[in-house]
Amino acid sequence: MPVFIEDPTEFSKEQLRAALISHNVELPPGESRKEVYVDLYLKHVRNKNSADFSSDDEDLEEEQEEEADMVDLGALTDDQLKKQLLRYGVKAGPIVGSTRALYERKLQRLMAHPLQSRVNGTRHAAKYSDSEVDEGEDDEEEEDDEEEDDDEEESGIGYKYTMFLSNIQLQLHILPSEPATDILMELFPDTATTPTGITATKRRSIKGAAGRPVKFKYTETPLSPASLERREIQQHLLPLWVQIIVFLLVAVLLCFIYILMEDGLENPFSAVLDSLSEQPIPDQLTLITSSQDVSTSETVAA
Amino acid sequence: MSTTSQKHRDFVAEPMGDKPVTALSGIGEVLGKKLEEQGFDKAFVVLGQFLLLRKDQELFAEWLKDTSGANARQAASCSQCLTEWCDAFL
Repeated sequence: MPVFIEDPTEFSKEQLRAALISHNVELPPGESRKEVYVDLYLKHVRNKNSADFSSDDEDLEEEQEEEADMVDLGALTDDQLKKQLLRYGVKAGPIVGSTRALYERKLQRLMAHPLQSRVNGTRHAAKYSDSEVDEGEDDEEEEDDEEEDDDEEESGIGYKYTMFLSNIQLQLHILPSEPATDILMELFPDTATTPTGITATKRRSIKGAAGRPVKFKYTETPLSPASLERREIQQHLLPLWVQIIVFLLVAVLLCFIYILMEDGLENPFSAVLDSLSEQPIPDQLTLITSSQDVSTSETVAA
Repeated sequence: MSTTSQKHRDFVAEPMGDKPVTALSGIGEVLGKKLEEQGFDKAFVVLGQFLLLRKDQELFAEWLKDTSGANARQAASCSQCLTEWCDAFL
């Protein structure tokens, strides 16, 4: 129904009457003037159409329902309340006696300020990165995702755009005092400077970020834990062989050395020891006998 | 919350078992009494309410303010305490 675009005063009385009937508006008494129709039209039809851009007839019933909800939340059933909350992107828990009042109030708040519930919107995109998510924000982000699937791309673009803008601003700020504080040049020495100070840097793939090695092929299919284990074992297979061989080699070498050492201990050292132990015995004996001789001769002399 | 009270640490350190509602951080004697009057005599009953609200700290804090008359700091402390307990033991 494209009528809401035009000025209702230009409509004929019949057109206005038809429009009012189609919007379930009670008609004024038969002999009313055109102004009355126009007033009614403006009041009932225009308001709804401006509130929601969908001008289809089938939406109207829903809209009316919604308006009724705004008036009296207490009259909603638990299911309806839940559905309404979901429409605002809030995934409600079970609505029972102890939680219902809270959810009603939350819905009321959301109806009054629908934008404030969006914590992670595009407004602060330049200030806060999307990657850092607090525990508390987890739920809300989930909610956001559910809330506007088609908004996602938009906000993504917005995010990039704001980042780009802030980049430009940064560089413009830095430009006047370039020699003093050229952090960006320090950070990106490869980028060529342009007269405007706006540099276009190539986006790097995130896969190589944070020191991770860049692989050029990433397996797309998720692997089951069992196959991962098997792969790990296969990767270990060759080194394991090598390890065993090396271990055996070292063991044999050690054994060989040990045997050699045992032999060596027996042969040369024992020979030396023998020769050493054999020689002093006669000397000592002679020494002892000579000293005994001396002592005896001394005692005799005394 | 950078600093946590001793009560908070004590509660988060072990399963809550049969602890009274006053064992929760942020719930003193006065608030505990008010909660007990409404049937929330044990910490696990309060946990039940917290879980019913899908661990939403904001909503839980609001509920606590309504039911026990806690102030914002007490409510935040209690919901933080329960959140951490859930992270550790649930």
